[in-house]
Amino acid sequence: MNIIVLIKQVPEIEKVRFDYEKGRLDRSSAGAVTNPFDLNALEAAVQIRERVGGVVTAISMGPMQAIESLRDALARGADRAILLSDERFAGADTLATAYTLAAAIKRLGKFDLVICGEKTVDGDTAQVGPEVAEFLGIPHAAYVEEILDVEKGWIIVRARMERSYYLMRLRLPALITVTKDINNPRLPSLKDKLRAMRMPIPVWNYTDLSEIADPKYFGLNGSPTRVIKVYTPISEKRKGQMISGSPKEVSQRILQILRENKILA
Amino acid sequence: MMKNSGIPSSLIVENLKGVVGDKWVITEREFMENYLKDETPDPIRPKPAEDLILVKPSSTEEVSRILKIANENRIPVFPVGGRTGLVGGAVPTEPGIILSLERMSRIEVDEENLMAVAEAGATLGDLIKAAESAGLFFPPHPGDEGAQIGGLIATNAGGARAIKYGVMRNYVRGLEIVLPTGEILSLGGKLLKNNTGYDLMQLIIGSEGTLCVITKAVIRLFPKSKYMVTLIVPFNERSDALRTVPQILRSGIIPLAIEYVQLREILEAAGHINENWPVQKGLAQLIIILEGSSQEEILSACEGISKVCEANNAIDILLAETPEEQNRILKIRSNIYTALKPRMMDILDVTVPPSSLEKLMEQVDMIASKYGIYLPTYGHAGDGNLHVHIMRKDVESIDMAKKIKEEIYGAALKLGGVITGEHGIGKLRTENISLVLSEKHIDIMRSIKRIFDPNNILNPNKVLP
Repeated sequence: MNIIVLIKQVPEIEKVRFDYEKGRLDRSSAGAVTNPFDLNALEAAVQIRERVGGVVTAISMGPMQAIESLRDALARGADRAILLSDERFAGADTLATAYTLAAAIKRLGKFDLVICGEKTVDGDTAQVGPEVAEFLGIPHAAYVEEILDVEKGWIIVRARMERSYYLMRLRLPALITVTKDINNPRLPSLKDKLRAMRMPIPVWNYTDLSEIADPKYFGLNGSPTRVIKVYTPISEKRKGQMISGSPKEVSQRILQILRENKILA
Repeated sequence: MMKNSGIPSSLIVENLKGVVGDKWVITEREFMENYLKDETPDPIRPKPAEDLILVKPSSTEEVSRILKIANENRIPVFPVGGRTGLVGGAVPTEPGIILSLERMSRIEVDEENLMAVAEAGATLGDLIKAAESAGLFFPPHPGDEGAQIGGLIATNAGGARAIKYGVMRNYVRGLEIVLPTGEILSLGGKLLKNNTGYDLMQLIIGSEGTLCVITKAVIRLFPKSKYMVTLIVPFNERSDALRTVPQILRSGIIPLAIEYVQLREILEAAGHINENWPVQKGLAQLIIILEGSSQEEILSACEGISKVCEANNAIDILLAETPEEQNRILKIRSNIYTALKPRMMDILDVTVPPSSLEKLMEQVDMIASKYGIYLPTYGHAGDGNLHVHIMRKDVESIDMAKKIKEEIYGAALKLGGVITGEHGIGKLRTENISLVLSEKHIDIMRSIKRIFDPNNILNPNKVLP
């Protein structure tokens, strides 16, 4: 089974600062790590391969330093990794990112399953996975919290809905995005980490992907999203109020407040 | 009426209010419950006295005036920090004043000198954060992050990350203290070398609140290491795991920490805080934390460690690199105590020369099988510091727990060790201190106590038997 895992390197979200003037994360303010949800995606892929055999390929789009996240993926069980890196891929919104990732998947050839994390902790949109599926013209399921079965040509998953769940049988090739509940990502062994440090990771650029996709949809040029303003919403706090007096006075006052605020007629 | 004092406590309360303000003198028992105990297991924790006054000063001058009042009226004073101690050291065991410095919690980081000036009431968590936001690093992790600087110094706290840079004592460069008689002294400073006279500062570190009240400290910081990893190494045999530790240190690699845990306890700790422990194999595991300036440097050190571990039959070597994974490991490890505590009778912290740890463990095993019980054990293996727990269900009485404790103490002493490596003497171990210290040694300690505290008002009947 050919499984592709999409991975993003993100800033350490607990430490990163937000640049309010530019309306974006100041990525220089924190170290970089693999998006935590992507580790669940990778673990899910490795578990399927351990059961039915196959090859797990990790793909990431980003600057050259994102190669660290791919090395991490190799240490944690991916068989190979590809980095999509080119200045002309930069500034991509979710649509252009999904388009570029889909182009890379097409360039790889035959595949059975694409697994992504439910979202990234920096963008938080949860859009890229389903958009990739659309560009590839394959079915998808988002927020998968359990893979019940993978059989010839099909995958059965349980996806989280707000207060229920959705049991889906998808025809392969398909794409799923997974939640943190699906598994506990394993720690890599030191041996695998050292091996991963020595493995070559091919880098695909603008020219490589222009062979199979329309480059005008790459990067900033291919991104219809425009960030106009970013602000922190003011959170409403509970306003405590002490009312004293006899039980009768207090209850009268409460009634009055509830009426004033149109909670009671 | 307070013990030894000839005046009614209401007058004392008024005097104290005159110093710190009405709001910061608390006499109602229900508002001081948290100040009456520390983290010592319930069955053996000393009972707090009745008739107590909780006072929260905001400055060194206020501390001085409070101590003068107490000294003039012969009222015992119990300085408390975060109350995370394990030997009843901070429990107010006699009627008197509980002195909490929690309002004195400022920290200033001096980036030029790589030092922090912290008031005694700042917490370990505050210090870690302050260092971090200045791009610096406070290497040790001497216990609960709610512990306060004053308490950490007064107890010379140790903890997990002491191998490479040492315990609390190795970080303190200066102290501001208030004597029980009210005088304020400044000891040391932002100095790395200081050879001026007897080093009273070192005497104060570890004096457990019996000599003076610490109000401020100069604490050494280090540049933040650029790269850190945590290894988990499972072994089938406990002796294999313990034998590995001195061999790693001999190989020339000094990790920040080498912790020894057993699968049974670490799984219990993980369950207790609803987390997953990432390595389910091997009876005994080593947790090794390494830090350095680059990934290459540290991975090459890891290769060195892996050779030693493999030669000692390690089953596997797993590596946590992301801060999230490393923090989870440290958090679970730190929660072994909280997971076991509700069922615990006592926690010991015997310490032996690092290479004797394997022998100590054999002795502990023999003691356990002699009594037909299980003694949950983990420890700071790189420091020769072992935590052995005596569980309630295994002992019929406090006396039986004492017997087991004394046998474990005996085993540690025979190996050239001591009864406590980090928890201190507090109240609980005063009955055992003479196992380690000679009569003459204790006499000198008594004389020192008299010089600092002629009226024996400060944390009385602690440390000294």
